[in-house]
Amino acid sequence: MPEVRASIRDEIGTLREYETVYILKPDTAQDEISQMNARVRQILESMGGKLLDLDNWGKRKLAYEIKKQLKGIYMYWRYLAPSGVVEEVQRNLRMLDAVIRYYTVRIGENIVPDTRTSAVDDARFTAAAEVRPDEEEIVTGAAEREEYDDEFGEPNMDEEV
Amino acid sequence: MAPPFPKPKRKPADDKAKKRIFIRRKVCRFCADTKLKADYKETGLLKHFISERGKLIPRRITGNCAKHQRQVATAIRRARMIALMPFVVTGK
Repeated sequence: MPEVRASIRDEIGTLREYETVYILKPDTAQDEISQMNARVRQILESMGGKLLDLDNWGKRKLAYEIKKQLKGIYMYWRYLAPSGVVEEVQRNLRMLDAVIRYYTVRIGENIVPDTRTSAVDDARFTAAAEVRPDEEEIVTGAAEREEYDDEFGEPNMDEEV
Repeated sequence: MAPPFPKPKRKPADDKAKKRIFIRRKVCRFCADTKLKADYKETGLLKHFISERGKLIPRRITGNCAKHQRQVATAIRRARMIALMPFVVTGK
């Protein structure tokens, strides 16, 4: 808990509430996502923040193209944090190649951390890293095919001939 | 007591006038339902407030009150940032 407040607006002993959404490239591997999540969580907790909610919205179609990608995996975080954490989280997200967009919104101020309970347990934390196939992949049958013949993740087309 | 003269027949102009008076007053959807909140994550609700081109629809047409129109506009702008909603819809 910060004893010194970074802003005169903050009351001592309280934190701000933030939401961060970041979009990953659609072909990001599951271990990469869980590593990334662990890193963000570590930053939050080491700097005196508290994770409230973590959710994977799955693979979604983007409304417009970002970095040549038309789809993205959305990760949603809600947390309490003192000043400076958001900058640190965003600095880390910027360094990761898989992150194509991040966005943070402040949704509350002067929140006493003990009044909020975290909805995130270990099971939920690991589940959030899971990559599920999106609707399009299920319809076209691309999701059924687990075997890829090369490291680029292209489906093996030759076998069907 | 009977009227001293027969009631005049209604002129067609009266019909016209009557039609023009009837204007449906729009109510702000967010004031009517206090549970409703303009949230940037809920694109299902927000898409009612953008045009086919993806532009914000003005208050004069949506009927939102000033306070809620501001909230809707902010929410849409946020949704655009994370590609949940388009900045512009082109005919591609």
